[in-house]
Amino acid sequence: MNPLAPLYRAIEWMPVLAQDITVLVVLVMPALIVGALVLVGFRPFPLVRAMLWRFRWTNALFVLLIAVSVGLGVGLIAQERGLRQGTARAADPFDLVISAPGSEITMMFAAVYLQPSDVPLLSGEIYDEVANAPDVTLAAPIAFGDSYVSSPVVGSTAQFVTHLSPDLAEGAMFADRLEAVIGSRVDLALGDSFTPAHGVGDAAEHDAHAHVEYVVSGRMQPTGSPWDRAIIVPVEAVWEIHGLANGHAPENADQLGPPFDPDYFPGTPAILVSAEQLYVNYALRAQFTTDRTMAFFPGTVLANLYSLMGDVRQVMSIMAVVTQILVTAGVLAGLVILTRLFARRLALLRALGAPGRFVFSVVWSYAATLIFSGAVLGVAIGYGAAALISRVVSAQTDILVTATLSWPEFHLVGAFVSLTVILALVPAFIALSRPVVTDLRS
Amino acid sequence: MSLDLKIDDLEVRAASGRVLLSVPRLSVAAGMCLGVKGPSGAGKSTFLFSLAGLGANSSGAIAWGGTDLMVLSPEARAKFRRHHIGMVFQDFLLFEELSAAANAALPGAYSRRARQAVIARKAGDVLDRLGIAHGGRTVESFSGGERQRVAIARALAADPEIVLADEPTASLDRKTADRLIEDLVRMVREEGKTLIAVSHDPAVYTRMDRVIEIVDGAIVSDEVRDG
Ligand SMILES: Nc1ncnc2c1ncn2[C@@H]1O[C@H](COP(=O)(O)OP(=O)(O)OP(=O)(O)O)[C@@H](O)[C@H]1O
Ligand SMILES: [Mg+2]
Repeated sequence: MNPLAPLYRAIEWMPVLAQDITVLVVLVMPALIVGALVLVGFRPFPLVRAMLWRFRWTNALFVLLIAVSVGLGVGLIAQERGLRQGTARAADPFDLVISAPGSEITMMFAAVYLQPSDVPLLSGEIYDEVANAPDVTLAAPIAFGDSYVSSPVVGSTAQFVTHLSPDLAEGAMFADRLEAVIGSRVDLALGDSFTPAHGVGDAAEHDAHAHVEYVVSGRMQPTGSPWDRAIIVPVEAVWEIHGLANGHAPENADQLGPPFDPDYFPGTPAILVSAEQLYVNYALRAQFTTDRTMAFFPGTVLANLYSLMGDVRQVMSIMAVVTQILVTAGVLAGLVILTRLFARRLALLRALGAPGRFVFSVVWSYAATLIFSGAVLGVAIGYGAAALISRVVSAQTDILVTATLSWPEFHLVGAFVSLTVILALVPAFIALSRPVVTDLRS
Repeated sequence: MSLDLKIDDLEVRAASGRVLLSVPRLSVAAGMCLGVKGPSGAGKSTFLFSLAGLGANSSGAIAWGGTDLMVLSPEARAKFRRHHIGMVFQDFLLFEELSAAANAALPGAYSRRARQAVIARKAGDVLDRLGIAHGGRTVESFSGGERQRVAIARALAADPEIVLADEPTASLDRKTADRLIEDLVRMVREEGKTLIAVSHDPAVYTRMDRVIEIVDGAIVSDEVRDG
């Protein structure tokens, strides 16, 4: 599948960084060897500089074309990885989610990425069972469905807030039913009050909870996930404003947070479960995969989703390779045409008695300079494009997507440079085969 | 080694088959200054290119000091030019964006490291003698006369035994042309080089030892001057 796989297998005893560097060196090596063989004994650079300067705008345009195509490849790879890492990071706090049976993906989008969705509720007995399972350290209801402006208002517990943001950025944890802790990017200040709407987005009913006012008591640290836009309130409040029991028996009516009384537990669409040990999570998943409940690891769902899309990625990377081959062919044709611009100068050199290999090295160095400059500029363009798209994606989804350049991009660029620089031998040969006197007289 | 020129049965054809130049027999002693005259299109440039081993579609023998260029490979001919021939072209053919000094020292770019400094020094000397003081400037801004001097300096930089010059004074005014041809001939004679100069300019012939005339690809007159 990956043409580099055998190489990686052969050097897997090395530290990872050394592996990546080795692969890059192996990819670039053909270009370096060709360059050394072509250039040994000659210093064509003053002439090459003169040729570059002579047709600087044509050359600049050519460099730009190479740069854009390299940038596209680099940007795509970087972007795809950024998106994958960003969604994985956002799902990181959600070890195990338990919900009513249905689509894991729909449930994951709803509970982890806060994409609104109507889902059945889990009963108090089930919550109780989950919360009292051995070794469970956190069992938090996630009661979504209300909103304020563009922020989902989610009912949960103080433990859940602490799970997402171990320290608050400012303020304090809600200590009262009508207090709220907001995500880092919610446009409210400490002490501000607001009235939630029933439902989310266009379907929200703004007057449904008109008598309710939450006061912002604290703000979470940034998490790089849609939860940065969310407002977390005590789940008791969510239940109460919907006219339901508040999770506690009348004699404990003022209690906030667990334990909840199953008899007064109106239900929750999802429960986030966290345990110290991995095997506990697996045991819980098995235990709650029943005909009444569904238990899933969002990380696994995400991985499955990506491996499903892996086929798409495969197609995309084949397309990327085909594009690069087309670009390479274009580069080659362009170089043959460009070197014709210099036909008279090259003929002059040969008429003066320059060795064929010197003329060859002039043409090749000229081509290699354009290719190399284009590749370097292309990396910059790719990085810039990835950074730009990341910002757009982050703004649209609230999933923090960071654009970084990493080894796969450098490997792609290294392979591209090697291939084209070797193919640049062709225009050099063509330049040498031109008739000297005809070109001199032209 | 004395590089006398000896031509036998030289025939150069165009791709179409038309005979451009036919020289059954010609000898030129080393150290001689030979002028080549003739009407436009007669084949003078073709003759000069052939002497440098740059002729295509040619047959016969062109021997410099016994080395027949016609039997050599293109690469061996290039090597012969590199070591023994300096050329001045009909239009100057300089690298516009390089300095005068760099243009004149161009043969150093493809020579062994040890020779590069020698060539650069010689190029600088010739530029000095031809009155080009601003060798560091790029030749873009140079006048025709200045360009021609740089081209001559380039031809002499590698200290060749043979100098082939095609219209070295073309497009120059009378005074500049006279000065230039005088300087060129003086330097060539001082160093005992062979000079073969194509020209329309009678002032050039007067400084030559011998003048041949080419018409329609054939040598129609051969005049040894006493001077
Ligand atoms: N590459 C070529 N293919 C075919 N014919 C050519 C080629 N080069 C030159 N000729 C022809 O050869 C003939 C001689 O050309 P050449 O340039 O040698 O003349 P010349 O005597 O140097 O003229 P001028 O004084 O104008 O420079 C001309 O008829 C020209 O058209
Ligand atoms: Mg001519």
